Amino acid sequence: MVVSLPRLRLQLESESELLQGDQDMVNESNLSMDLTEAFAGVFESAKRNLVVVQNGHRGAGAGVIWRPGGIVVTNHHVIQRGKPKISLLDGGEFRAKVIARAKDIDLAILRIESPERDDVAFPGALIADSRDLRVGQIAFAIGHPWGQIGAASAGIISGLGSVPVRSKRGTVHVIRTDVRLAPGNSGGPLMNASGGVIGINTMIVGGDLGVAIPSHVVNEFVEEQLGQETFQAAM
Amino acid sequence: MSQNNGNNILSKLSDAMANAVEVAGAGTVMVNGRRRLPASGIAFASDLILTANHVLEREEDIPVILPDGSEFSSRLAGRDPGSDLAVLRLEKSVAELAIPASEEAHVGQIVLALGRPSPNGIQASLGVVSAIGGPVRTGRGGLLERYIRTDAIPYPGFSGGPLVDSSGKVLGMNTSGLSHGASLVVPAGLAWQLAESLAKHGSVRRGYLGVRSQPVEVSAAQQEALGRQQEGGLLLVSVEKRSPAEAGGLMVGDILVGFDGQAVTDPDELFVLLAGEVVDRPIQLEVLRGGQPTQITVTIGERK
Repeated sequence: MVVSLPRLRLQLESESELLQGDQDMVNESNLSMDLTEAFAGVFESAKRNLVVVQNGHRGAGAGVIWRPGGIVVTNHHVIQRGKPKISLLDGGEFRAKVIARAKDIDLAILRIESPERDDVAFPGALIADSRDLRVGQIAFAIGHPWGQIGAASAGIISGLGSVPVRSKRGTVHVIRTDVRLAPGNSGGPLMNASGGVIGINTMIVGGDLGVAIPSHVVNEFVEEQLGQETFQAAM
Repeated sequence: MSQNNGNNILSKLSDAMANAVEVAGAGTVMVNGRRRLPASGIAFASDLILTANHVLEREEDIPVILPDGSEFSSRLAGRDPGSDLAVLRLEKSVAELAIPASEEAHVGQIVLALGRPSPNGIQASLGVVSAIGGPVRTGRGGLLERYIRTDAIPYPGFSGGPLVDSSGKVLGMNTSGLSHGASLVVPAGLAWQLAESLAKHGSVRRGYLGVRSQPVEVSAAQQEALGRQQEGGLLLVSVEKRSPAEAGGLMVGDILVGFDGQAVTDPDELFVLLAGEVVDRPIQLEVLRGGQPTQITVTIGERK
């Protein structure tokens, strides 16, 4: 009778492959160190383009410097009431002007009111193309959940689809993610493995499902609205 | 932004997980068997879908939607409320197969929970294997020989869908129907075994031997007599009257060490072996009797 015992095989291997095993262990621990550093790197660089958006009432949301020089994208519901103020993570608080808002897709565009409008003071985020995302890809979020400034969380893209909206758009593309989000993440970036912004975190459904508006939808909105702004300024 | 090594690692990991979702998603179908939210299913043969028993409210005309969006009707081939498994038979052999993992899940392993509760594409969540346990009494009066717990978020409609490893191989089937709504995973080895039984017989036939036992050490001398390293066996402490064990000649004091060519070292292993395709089959058991290996053939009964 032939009996194969997993435990037995393990014992035999453990002796002959002890040295090899040690080497593998070292390589694996390097790999996880590299991964940990890579995670930290993404969040470190994301902080440069992350802002706190205060609406003058209680609570604050997050925002992303979408274009260098101080064009900030956040959620509409973050700036719904009151005059918004924006602060950077390394200090500095500014008044902000609402340039455009779209309630249906929960987006708003703000301009930081500051004499400096250069991209050194307000560097723009790297915006990634969100049209070729795949379910399972890593997703990072950074924001201010429950008032904790610049808090990081990680997960994956859980689903891609669209939801109906009450406007002439009819539907809007959304990214669903299992990244743990909380109030205060609203308006903050959802990022891919390279740190590129793939969306703006918008909703938390049922406590464990985050929904983000993809970057290509945000880009269309920004281009559409900034075009108008320029035109109005020229009058 | 510059692409440093770290980002390459992250991008590789990210792509690998997306690939795993794609591979496993091809064998993950949508099962529309209840009034509320649709649930998920795993194609374990081209015409057989493994799903959760509790997501089926009827036995006929159950629509199954494949990853490409095509819809096929199916009917219930068998169900086992005790393990919350059910098997659907498709009207045609059209499903792309899910691949079960060759190794069992281990604690700490990175896993993805998958589901297809809508026709708009696969859904996934990331986590690790939190615990492996069993046997456990389930909420439906059954006994699950083995289970996996994970911290991956079980989204609504994930019941019946697979838990997969980072290469997309199936480690088990997700269900919220066994543990008061909490998510539990039935390991792939057990699920596939039960599913085959369900497809063949319509129910799970569990084998009955008729012994009580306790695990004991097998001494070095006995291992030598056996001709293999096996540190444990099952000491039979009672043999039930008119049981298959008695009919086959098993005796109190025998140490059961083998079952149909498989080593037996603890009661759980015997339990799992008896859940296989063994009812009414003569099975060769190996026991230590007076320290000497003895072969005994027992025709396994059915546990009622």
